[in-house]
Amino acid sequence: MFRIGLRDTKAHFRRFIMSIIAIALGVAFVVGSFCFREMLNDQVAQMMGSNSDADVYVRGATEQKKDGEDSLGSYNSTYNEISTDVIADIEKVDGVVSADATHQLSNVVLLDHDGDAMTTVGAPTLVIGVDTDDPWRSAHFVSGEYPQTDSEIALLEDTADKAGLKTGDTAKIVVDGEVHEMTVSGVFTSPSTQLGAILILARPSFVEHTLQQEGEDTSSVQFIGVYGDKTTPLDAEAQQQLADRINKELPKGADAHAVTGDSVRDDATKSIQDQLGFIQPLILIFAAIALFVGAFIIANTFTMIVRESMRGYALLRSVGASPLQVFASVLVQAVILGVVGSGIGVLLGWGLLEAIAKGMTSGGMPLSGSPAPSATDVVVGVIVGVVVTIIGATLPAKTAATAPPIQAMNETVNPEKPVRARGWIGVVMVVVGAAWWTLCYLDAAKRVDWQWLKDMGSGWTLGLGAGFVIIGAIVCAPAFVAPAAKALGWLPSKAFPVTGKLATRNIGRAKRRTANTAAALFIGVAIVSCLGVVASSMKTSVSNLVDNNVNADYVAMTASMTQPISTKAVDAIEKTDGVGASSAVYMLPTVEATNAGKDVMTAAIKTDLLTKLAPIESQEGDAAKAIDDGEAAIGRTVADDEHWKIGDVIDLESENTSVDEDATKQASEAYRKQIEEQAAALQAEAQRLAASGNATGAQIKAKEAENVVKQAQDVDPKRFVKTKTETKKERIRIGAIIDDSLYSDSIFVSLPTAEKLTGEDMMMVTQMYVQAKPGADVAKLGEDLKKTAKPFYTVSILTRDEFKSSMSSMINSMLAIIYALLALSIIIAIFGIVNTLALNVSERTKEIGLLRAIGTSNGQVRGMLAIEAVILSVFGTLAGIVVGVAAGVVIRIAYESQGMTTLAIPWDQLVLFLVAAILVGLVASISPARRALKQPVLDAVASE
Amino acid sequence: MPKTDPIVAKAVDLFKTYGDTDNQVTALDHVSVDFRRGELTAIMGPSGSGKSTLMHCMAGLDTPTSGRVLVEDLEVSSMNQKQLTQLRRKEIGFIFQSFNLVPTLTAEENILLPLQIAHRPIDRAWFRKVVGVVGLENRLDHRPSQLSGGQQQRVACARAMMERPSVIFADEPTGNLDSRSSREVLEFLRQCVRDYGQSIVMVTHDPRAASFADRVLVLSDGSITQDMDHPSYDDILAVFAEHDDPDNGPVDVESAKEA
Repeated sequence: MFRIGLRDTKAHFRRFIMSIIAIALGVAFVVGSFCFREMLNDQVAQMMGSNSDADVYVRGATEQKKDGEDSLGSYNSTYNEISTDVIADIEKVDGVVSADATHQLSNVVLLDHDGDAMTTVGAPTLVIGVDTDDPWRSAHFVSGEYPQTDSEIALLEDTADKAGLKTGDTAKIVVDGEVHEMTVSGVFTSPSTQLGAILILARPSFVEHTLQQEGEDTSSVQFIGVYGDKTTPLDAEAQQQLADRINKELPKGADAHAVTGDSVRDDATKSIQDQLGFIQPLILIFAAIALFVGAFIIANTFTMIVRESMRGYALLRSVGASPLQVFASVLVQAVILGVVGSGIGVLLGWGLLEAIAKGMTSGGMPLSGSPAPSATDVVVGVIVGVVVTIIGATLPAKTAATAPPIQAMNETVNPEKPVRARGWIGVVMVVVGAAWWTLCYLDAAKRVDWQWLKDMGSGWTLGLGAGFVIIGAIVCAPAFVAPAAKALGWLPSKAFPVTGKLATRNIGRAKRRTANTAAALFIGVAIVSCLGVVASSMKTSVSNLVDNNVNADYVAMTASMTQPISTKAVDAIEKTDGVGASSAVYMLPTVEATNAGKDVMTAAIKTDLLTKLAPIESQEGDAAKAIDDGEAAIGRTVADDEHWKIGDVIDLESENTSVDEDATKQASEAYRKQIEEQAAALQAEAQRLAASGNATGAQIKAKEAENVVKQAQDVDPKRFVKTKTETKKERIRIGAIIDDSLYSDSIFVSLPTAEKLTGEDMMMVTQMYVQAKPGADVAKLGEDLKKTAKPFYTVSILTRDEFKSSMSSMINSMLAIIYALLALSIIIAIFGIVNTLALNVSERTKEIGLLRAIGTSNGQVRGMLAIEAVILSVFGTLAGIVVGVAAGVVIRIAYESQGMTTLAIPWDQLVLFLVAAILVGLVASISPARRALKQPVLDAVASE
Repeated sequence: MPKTDPIVAKAVDLFKTYGDTDNQVTALDHVSVDFRRGELTAIMGPSGSGKSTLMHCMAGLDTPTSGRVLVEDLEVSSMNQKQLTQLRRKEIGFIFQSFNLVPTLTAEENILLPLQIAHRPIDRAWFRKVVGVVGLENRLDHRPSQLSGGQQQRVACARAMMERPSVIFADEPTGNLDSRSSREVLEFLRQCVRDYGQSIVMVTHDPRAASFADRVLVLSDGSITQDMDHPSYDDILAVFAEHDDPDNGPVDVESAKEA
């Protein structure tokens, strides 16, 4: 039987090509998604290895629970901070070469040699405080060396190349709106690529000083890195030994603990990998579509093959082959097919990843992670491919094995099982899904106030609804094939009376097959039209918001994601000639509403914003008056979430770190005193030696004393800066609730109120609205504002239209990725349609022969199949559009309070999908039609 | 369009072989024959005699190795696909052994299909007449799966008659039918010839069916061995008794295997 299966495979190989492509694509997606994750993991691990390369880390010993922390930092914020004072203790430990708390600045912009701000694709710009005393072991200098003074920096080679800078050049960096001119002291590389990050090394004193200016406490840190060797990393055992020795020496009161570098790296790597994990399910959805279509194509192909080989199987059976043997001979083919398809798929997935890695490298994100699939990936890929193939082939194989020999000899097409029951089940599922969506709508529209529904959250109701509707639609689709064919076939039947009618009726013949074929398109189109509706609603809402609610003529925005608009820039813009009303939106990241259930942002604004720049349309109370009176105005969403009313009191709390002037003074005083004493002692010694006649000794001592004084003068006064943390609390009455969606999710207070809580340095301005003075030339104001913003490098001035399009372009680039995936799923869907038509044609060989015998031209046969294919693809596409748009509408309602105020259905896009569906159908019908016409009429109708 | 030429179709020196040079089978061995207008001609012969090949070549379904086929003085044997399509639309009608109706269309739609395919106007009076003759007035809305074998073949006959082609080729039209249905179909074919001057060429190996014909040709090993004018059933049987080949067995036995 095995040999027969093998021979059959060879004979049918052409038939198998399509199945192999489908399986290969599905497996490629699966393997690609795993490889992609591994490549990123590899990359992250490598970066961790070189960026956090200490042999031992000393961290806090007490675990801290902090929810809702900034996710990227979550892995190292679970322990208490430790004082940098312990560094001195650690350095005394045997085997420690250096111990250092490395500080970083992330809100810096580097200007390239043309003076333009350097931007990255998502990767950060970091200034790392290291120098010869506190080195970074993984940095290897290509030229130059570590910065020696506070006006020097060293650059990563990739950064230097992109910026067009080299050792000895003058580079400009913008820190908190201030431009610093720095000399490039060196260019270095690190063992792993940094995904396009811009890395700058500066002296620790420079970094710490800057942090202190921004109000960060530099005297306590999360981690202190310890090197046990200047050049080579310690192995795991040596790391552990060093950690143990340090632990013994750490003072009890420090609440600190030393752990090996490896364990910290592993934890950090894992947490970053978890955050990147979200990409995989997205790819896996499309892998599932591909494999579904693959299984289905295989089922179709085997049905065809089995049908054509029925006589052969009947012969085998009649000479004594058992049904199981026949079954096996078919399954052997399936396994061969699965292995070949999966093998190609694995290679394809690998190639895909290599291409992605290449693309990312050329797009400015060099990767050193390996895209090669691991053995597990290959095994998983092949198993998935083979299992899917076997699933697809089982039913046809069963037909082949169990058909009685006599029936097998005759060519009969068994009538389909009725689809009515399936239709009802599917309809019920769709109704259940729609019910979930309705619940979601009722909740979002505040029609009902059910706690359990609120607890569930819109994510769950939306997801459950979508799941039920999509699966239900696939289940009930066969029952709707006939009516849909009638409706969709109306136009072609009018245009082409005969072929149109024949095609329309043919569609209804194999309802399940038709429905399954359409399902692949259905899912893809549903996802994309849903996203299309959401995206276009977002864009329209933003643009409506700007049109209707924002009266500002210009918006100042920061060009770098990490750097806010500096207060100096805000002042400069306010003072620009022609500016009438203006208001920056000051975010207060340190301020927390302690009596709120959720994290709520607090922002400080000027009342001009509420009255002139973006006037409130609907509110309870008077927000402008409330804010002027030192009260808070809150958004409607916040009020609803927290059940706050006017008159309620919000507890605002801010933890502020500032330079402790007294302590700083004391520290430098103490140092000065110590030096004086030391110098005095040396002087005394020198005098004593001179008195005792030892002139050379006296001279040496005098020199030493001089040196001590000189050294003390060289010491950076910044070194003595001490910071202090104080918590300020304010109880603020809610004076107004604003309904406008622009203000819906924040608490607003006036600047003076905000200053009671936190310093100006701690406020972050990301946006600033500017309105021209009445009668002023708006265009000229724009020019002037741009001139004003120029020296700040990172502030861009946008007109209203630019502001709108800056929002859309973000959404568009997100959509581009989804569309690329859709394109792939459409290709797979085309295979499905081609395959289904091929099977239909093979089943209808006689009928098509007859049609040709009674005068149907080749063109008419082609037309008939083209109409069938188009009806099929339009059926799937229309169903997808209907479900996708419905989902989009519900999502829009669910997130209405978060700014999606306007529903915009992208009709042009949907029409484009339909046109694409028609084209897909036409293209898909070409090859089956060719096959149908290749069959001689005689073979089709001859009875002998 | 009245046609005056007494010959509706003819084969000139038809030669047809199958297979490659090592294993050649001669199906038609230089056959020349004229089919007369307004006659029901039956082609008979045992299996492998070439009777089906002759009909397939005449109908443009198969191309002869050499020789010419003419239908209404049009050279079928040298036509391309497009011309063949036109030929099938205007000059040729088919009736098959396995009925070959389009399962998705009703009886009426099946009957009208050739005219619609050819974009020709439907002669409603003619349609009613044909339907009346085959006795399908009450079955027009039925799908083929709802009709008996005899009814299906009568629909196929009506379909062939609807376009009033120059010649109808019938390939074992009674091969799958019981004797009563066979008789009805044959009666209909004969009525078409008699009342409407239709020319029909029918391949059969059933002497009873052949006895309905105006003329019976008998093929054996690729050549015409007999050409009988209005033979009776007994005449035909006598011919076959004469030619009975002991290896092939009696002619009647073969008919059961053809399906």
